[in-house]
Parts: sequence; C-alpha cells; structure tokens
Amino acid sequence: MRQNKRFSMEQKKARWGWTFVAPSLVFFLVFSFYPIFNAFYMSFFKKNLLSLKPPVFVGLGNYSYLFKSSLFWQSAANTAIFTVGAFVPLLVLSLVLAALIMSRRRFQKLIQMILYSPAALSSVVAALIWLLIFDPRGLANQGLNTLFRTSGVNYHWLSSTGMLRLSTIIVYVWKYVGYFTVVFVAGIGAIPHSLHEAALIDGADRWKDFWHITFPLLKPTTLLVSVMAMIQCLKTFSTQYLFSKAGAPTRPIDVITLNIYNTAIKDHNIGRASAMSILLFLVMLFLTWLQFRISKTEEVSYM
Amino acid sequence: MNAAKTKSSPARRLADILIWLFLIGACALVLIPLVFMFTSSVMPAIDIMKLPYPWISDHIHWQNFWNGLRGPEGTFIFLRNILNSLVVALSVTATTVLLSSMSGYGLAKFQFKGRNTVFMLIMATMMIPFEAIMIPLYMVVMRMRLQDSYAGLIVPFLTSAFGVFLMRQFLLTFPDEVLDAARIDGASEPAIFTHVVLPNVGPAIATLAVLTFRSQWDSLLWPLLVVQSEEMKTIPLYITKFMAETHSDEGIMMAIAAMASLPMFILFLTMSKYFISREGLYSTTKG
Amino acid sequence: MKRLSCLLVLALVISLSLGANAAKIIELTYWTHTDDNRTVIENRYIAEFEKMHPNVKVKRVVNEASKMGDLLLTAFSANNAPDIFNLQIELEYGYMMQNRVAPVNYSAIGYKNAEALKAEYLKGAFDAVTMDGKIYGLPLELTNWCIYINKKIFRSAGLDPEKDYPKTWEQMADISDKLVIRNGDIIVRRGFDFRYPYYLVSLLPMVEQLGGKLVSDDGKTAIVNDQAWLKVLKFMKEWGPHGRNLGSPTYPAPRKIWNKDNNDMAMCLSGFYQQGRLRIDNPAFFESNEWMVIPFPVFKDAVKDVACSYYGHYLMVNAQAPKERQEMAWKLIAFMLSHPMEYLEKVNIIQPRQDMLQSREFKSLPYMDVFMSDMDRAHSVFLHDNGYQFERYIKEAVEAVMLSKTTEQQALNTLRERIQEVLDSDF
Repeated sequence: MRQNKRFSMEQKKARWGWTFVAPSLVFFLVFSFYPIFNAFYMSFFKKNLLSLKPPVFVGLGNYSYLFKSSLFWQSAANTAIFTVGAFVPLLVLSLVLAALIMSRRRFQKLIQMILYSPAALSSVVAALIWLLIFDPRGLANQGLNTLFRTSGVNYHWLSSTGMLRLSTIIVYVWKYVGYFTVVFVAGIGAIPHSLHEAALIDGADRWKDFWHITFPLLKPTTLLVSVMAMIQCLKTFSTQYLFSKAGAPTRPIDVITLNIYNTAIKDHNIGRASAMSILLFLVMLFLTWLQFRISKTEEVSYM
Repeated sequence: MNAAKTKSSPARRLADILIWLFLIGACALVLIPLVFMFTSSVMPAIDIMKLPYPWISDHIHWQNFWNGLRGPEGTFIFLRNILNSLVVALSVTATTVLLSSMSGYGLAKFQFKGRNTVFMLIMATMMIPFEAIMIPLYMVVMRMRLQDSYAGLIVPFLTSAFGVFLMRQFLLTFPDEVLDAARIDGASEPAIFTHVVLPNVGPAIATLAVLTFRSQWDSLLWPLLVVQSEEMKTIPLYITKFMAETHSDEGIMMAIAAMASLPMFILFLTMSKYFISREGLYSTTKG
Repeated sequence: MKRLSCLLVLALVISLSLGANAAKIIELTYWTHTDDNRTVIENRYIAEFEKMHPNVKVKRVVNEASKMGDLLLTAFSANNAPDIFNLQIELEYGYMMQNRVAPVNYSAIGYKNAEALKAEYLKGAFDAVTMDGKIYGLPLELTNWCIYINKKIFRSAGLDPEKDYPKTWEQMADISDKLVIRNGDIIVRRGFDFRYPYYLVSLLPMVEQLGGKLVSDDGKTAIVNDQAWLKVLKFMKEWGPHGRNLGSPTYPAPRKIWNKDNNDMAMCLSGFYQQGRLRIDNPAFFESNEWMVIPFPVFKDAVKDVACSYYGHYLMVNAQAPKERQEMAWKLIAFMLSHPMEYLEKVNIIQPRQDMLQSREFKSLPYMDVFMSDMDRAHSVFLHDNGYQFERYIKEAVEAVMLSKTTEQQALNTLRERIQEVLDSDF
C-alpha cells in the first residue's frame, strides 16, 4: 500500500472529483438528459398529446415534413431575423457604451447601474410596459411625432410586419444592453494599463489607442459575447409569446420556440414539436462548439 | 486609461461634450420605460392612455397600490405570492450556488477519467430550449407527485449548467499550492472545499446568485404548469392574472409591476458592487 | 412456490386497498376559469355539497381563462388531469373525440336516460357534446354575442341610436366612420371594432351569411365559396389601417374599454355576461339608460340570415378517474347546476334550462329578447378536432390583409392550403 501511495493518491483524488460532480450530474441526468432524449425519441413518432393511443412510428417523417413546411421555414427566418437584429445592435451599442464609459473619469458606476437596471425587471413586467408604450396612442408614437415635428402619424409598432419585429428587438436590446456593457467594461478594465501608457508615449491619441490597443485585445471578449448573445436570442420566447397574446399578429414574430409551444400545446402534435426542438438544439450545439473554439484562441491572444 | 495630462484643445472639449450627451441620452432612453412604469402606477387608468401622456397626473391615484395589494378577490394573496416567489428564488439560488460550486470545483481541480466528457455533457444542457423539454419534464415531476408544491417549483432547477460553467472557469485560476498546502495540513477534502475554496470565490458566487435569483424571479412557464392553487402562485402568475381581460386596469397593473420589481431592484442595488466591477462579471465570460 | 406467495401478497394488497377505499374520503378536483362572482357562489355550493356527502372533499382550482386550455392539455397528457373541468366547447371537443372525458352518468344525477335530460334543456343545447348518442357534458353556460351600443356617443355624432343603429355590415362600417375620432392616423375613439382572436365564433358567421363555409359538409375540402371569403376579407381590409382605418387588433379590446364609458368606444361585441361586468366596473353607466343591445348585423346581400355563433362551457368529467369518483363528480355538477337562476343573477351566465328560460323573470331581463332571438338565428360554433389550429390560420389571414400588403386572394390561398393540409393528414 505504502509504495503505491502516489497511485492511490491519484485514485483518491479522482474519487473526490466524482463525488463533487456527482450530485449535479445526477440532477442533469434526470431533469435535462432524460427529457431531451424523450423529445428525441418522440420526434420519430406521430402522437396526439391528448390521445390515449400509443404513438405511431413515422421514422424521419416529422423531419421531412418540417423541411418542406413553409411555416417552419418562416419560423426559422423569424428566429434568424430576430437573432441578427438583436445581437448586432446589442454588440455594437454595448461595446461603444463601454468604451465611452471607460473614457470618463466620473460617474462610471452610476451610468453602468442605470444601463443595467432594465435587466432587473421580469419579462412579464417588461412586456406589460412596452405593450402600453407601443399602443397606437402610447409613448412610442408620441415620441417619434415630437421628434419629427409631425402629428398623428401611426408607426404601427405592433401591427406592421417590420415594425413588430423591430419592437420585439427594441425590448430585447433595452433589456440586455446594460448587461453586455458591464461585461465589456470589465473586459476593457482587464487590459493592462502598461499597454495604453506605451501607446500614449508613442504619441497615439485616444481614438488610435482604442482602435489599435483596446479593440484588438477585446476581440476574444467580443466574439464570446456575441456567441452568448446569439444563443440567448435563439432561445427568445417570452416577449414574442406575450406580444402575440396581447393581439399583435403572430406570423412576423412566430419564432421557433413559439412555434414549438403552439405545435405541442395548441395543435397537440408532440412528435412534430419534438422534431423542431431537436433541430433547434442542434443549431445551438453547433454555436456552443464555436464558442469553445473561440475561447481556445482567447487564451493564446491574451498573454 | 485616460492619461491625466492631456492638453485640452477646442476639438477635444467638443468631443467631450458629445460623449457626455451620448451617454446621457442613452441613459435617458433606458430610463424612460421605467419612469413610465412608476408614473403610470399612480394614475387612474383613463389618464394613462391620454394623448399626450401626462407625465404627472392631476390626481395621484395611490389606491392603485392598495387595489393591487388587495387583489380581485380582496384576499391580499399578493403578499403570499411574493413570499412564494422569494422562497422559490432563494432556495433555488442557495442550491444552485452550492451544487454548482461543488461540480465546478470537481471539474476544475481534480483529474479523473471522463472529466471532459462530463463537462461537455453539462455544457450541452445549456443549449436545450426549455419549451423543448417542458412536457417530458412535467411528466417527470408529476410522477414524483410534486405538483402544486414548493418542491415542484424548486426541484427542476436545483443546479444550472451555466453555474457549473461559471464556477469551473473561475476555479481554474485558483492556485493549486493553496489546496495542496491544506491537504498537507491534513484537511479533509470536504473541509478544503468549505473552508478554503468557498470563502475565496465570493465574487463568482455573488454573480451566480444574482443571475440565478433574477431568472427564477422571472420564471413564468414552469410555475404556470406546476401550480394549481392561488396560494402557490408566484408573482409573474399574479401579474398575468391582472392582464386578463376581466381585471384589466392599466394603473393597477403598473402598480403591481412596480411592487413586483421592487425586490429585484433592492437586490440589484445592494449587490451591484459584485457584478459592476472588474473582477465580477468579467470572470463569468472569460474561458 | 415463489409465484404463489407473490399472488398472495398481491391479493392482500388489493383487498387492503379496497377496504381502505370504502372508508376513504373521495377527493374531487375541479378546474375552472377565473370569475370572481362565480367563485363566491360555487364555493358555497361546494360547501353545501360536502355537508351532504361527508366523505367527499372538493378542491376547486381557478386559472385565467386564456391559460386553461394549455394547462388542461398538459395535465391530460401527463395523466394528471382533474376530475371535473370546463372549457370553451371548441377546445373541449378534442377531449371528447379522444375519449378523454366520460359520458354523463344519468342515474347518478337522477335521469332515466339521455332523452329525459335533453327534455329539461333548450333544444340543441347538447348537440355539441353528443357523440354516438351519448352526452358528454352539462352546460355551465351557453353564450352568444350581440352588439352593445353607447347611446351618448351616437348622439354626440348626430346619430339617433334607436333608429340609426347598424343593421348591415355595410352600415356598420359607415356608422363607425362617422363615430371615429382620430389624431392623424391614430384612432382616439372607435365606432365598432371586432373581437379579433375569436374568429370561429364571430367571423365565420359573416362568411356563412354570404354562403361560404370553412370546410365542406363531407369534411374533405377546405374553403367553400371563394367569393364569400374574398368579400369578408375585403371588408376586413377596408376596416383596417390601410383601408378606412376604423380599428385594428392592436388597439385595446373593445369590450374592456366600452364599460368605462370614456368616450373611446361606441360599440362592442359581447355576451349577456357583459352586463354583469358593467354593473361592477361602472355602476353609474349600468344604471343609466345610455346603453342598448342590438342584433348581430348581416351583409346587405346576404344569402343566409346567420347571427354570431353560440358557444358553451360544458362541465365534463375525466374518463380516467375511478368510477366512484366519476359518479360523485356528476352528482356535484348536477348539484351546482341546480341553481340556474342564481348563476344568471350573480354571474350573468345563461344555463339553457327550460324551466328558467320560460320564467317571467328571465324574459324580463334587459335585452334578453335580443339575445334570445339572435340565438334562434345562430348555430353552435364550428367544431373540429383541430378547430384551434383553424382559428389560428384564419387569424393569420385576417391579420395579413388588414395589416400588410397581402391581397385577399393571396391570404385566401394560404388559408386554404393550411387548412387542407390539416384535413388531409390523418392526425
């Protein structure tokens, strides 16, 4: 035993490793893996949620239906439009805001607090507020009419296809721009001072300093934030759900998650809903894989 | 980063003013909906939809808060519902912090076969959209006979993949020498975890706690499925009740929204130093 | 030997559980939608019922009406459904078709057979819940919608409500045009506006007035009579912001703001129950003589006189509940429903029982004659296994013509394609 001390030490450590991981792992097995495998299994069957009859095996039937269905592609397009439409402004705005905040000597924390504050609201409350703002008589129309010195122009925030999509994007950007600004501020703060000082001694102005020092060093953070934001956007549900419940047309904001919900809960078609879930899951898995590749390059570029 | 001694040319001063204007404008835009919520919460419903919006109403309608508190049945169930939300959010936060830091620690500081597989598997669960597993998950919880109970609301969220990820990333940078020193001193592994590791990961735990609490406070779909009785409802369910057509009074709705947001704002203000800081949130994304 | 002992143990367990059952309390769960007035009286009925049957405990669970369908579906799919529930018949229909609900236990509620039960109710009251000659639910309410008018707003636009009220849809649009007040394009006061998401109840009858149908009688073809559909879609397009700008789905629900009498909604489509809500929301307006109810309009060149469809909320019993619980459930339902007059007075919902319908008190209720004569012109709401899906597709078609540049023909083609696909699949 004694001569195997080193070996048994390792074994003991491995056992402790498992012990620490086990509770979470068991949890994930029951509450994540089992349900997703169940969904994967169901995606090969035709089954009415209400029916007591056993599910009928249809092979890839649900998937081939989806690939041919214009409604599905419409949802995929809606999700893509929302994702790109929300994450580009999120990224650009939060990066710009973070850079500007860091260029100030005062009120850094206060501005961050203000920008972050919408994240403290629940999505039900956020939808409630914005539904009233986007009402034809609400603040959104009033604001634009004051700004453009017009009167009584209705911008159809909740009714025309493009504006409705824009409205959901505005709610999302409003809610999360502060969060990502805070992330970027932290990222900028982590860049060693010596690098900036060196640049300034070399005669660079603030703009050049940002463009040549800060921005390149922030690239890993930027890429990471964009993938994070993208995954969040792909999963968006509550804003679209609450807006469509409040009377906004469904088709322009019928994102995949909403389609999954309606297909399962309203149409009772659990097989087709499961197939959609699996497809969405695969897309997100691909993006995570991307995230991990990106985080690998980060380690190299930092030091 | 601002070198202190820079000459201030007119162009530079102009740039300064523009930057301030931009920042103030951004803050104003972000704040308008919040100000709208608070001002309309003390207005009679007919004033809220007036054109133009009267930022301050002639008659301050405090009874919106009273009516929101009383509820449509006059049972003050709001207080019970907010308590439910607190119980659920706090329990989930506590277990998530504990279980996630345990697994994060296990994954970061121990070598064992299958470690990377386990990590990747846990990461993969982050990608599962909740709507996708809603029904199978509901069946699991029903089979455990947990409907309409705190346990039913809490158990499916005991830990989170994001939490495990966060704690692992944070602990990767934890110095091994400290752990080995404790081991040589004869400390047991659980003791090392509770006495050496946990006290040193404060910022990460605070970040995780705030984010977990926030997402639980926000949770709508799951409570909707699991809860049956009025006594077990959480705050988002209480709010949607007022969005129903029979009880819709925008003023009362906004008063409830304001009251329901208060605990989050308090938490946010008291904890802000943890995540509005260089060590806080940044560590959550590094890795 | 082993098998024998297994059997013995099993027998023991069964007999024990049976013995326990006999003395055990029967727990009934009853899910229904939020309605404060109804909650008060039903809680009282339940308390009385529990006193009459000391071995019964009833758990009454309320949820917001628009969520009930989702909640019940999840519960039924997990085999965790309540013993008693009610929903709009459009949604309940699927539960019946999938054999998830039990037929009425006639003897438990004191009837000889289906005929005896039917005789007590309005003719046709059970049509929607009859399958293979068996009845699957008792009506908690039977509702149709007529048009509520705010007379003051009519007069303020120089109209005499008693004479100038709209009889046709064409008049409805013209009168609304006179009543509407706008700030630029933004409507500040509407004349009439539709009850948008409820297309099967209120839009389909408009199509039928012109001779159109959603599904052919043999159930195989979607969309009968394109011209009728195109005309209705055109009417909706004209109604919307790109036409005469009289209303749109994104303004607040008319029936909700009509009660406030705030000079922003002249007419709304609603049931008799609106009066109950009005009495609570705005007693002064309720007591005043400033509102009235008129019949559902008909197109000028209609080929069929059809009023707004009526729909029911039926109390149903979970077929998976054990027999004794089912029997007790029907007893509870029958007991609650033995108070139709109180449901009418306190909750303003109509339970179509002959004894009540014929009573003088019933007939003398304000505008009850309008509702009852419209009921005669109407039929039950369109029912289909996939009814909800159809309604969603109609919603998309109407929204497309009203709010985007989609033409009526394009919208109709898409609608036909979608519904045909559902009809063709054997799902």
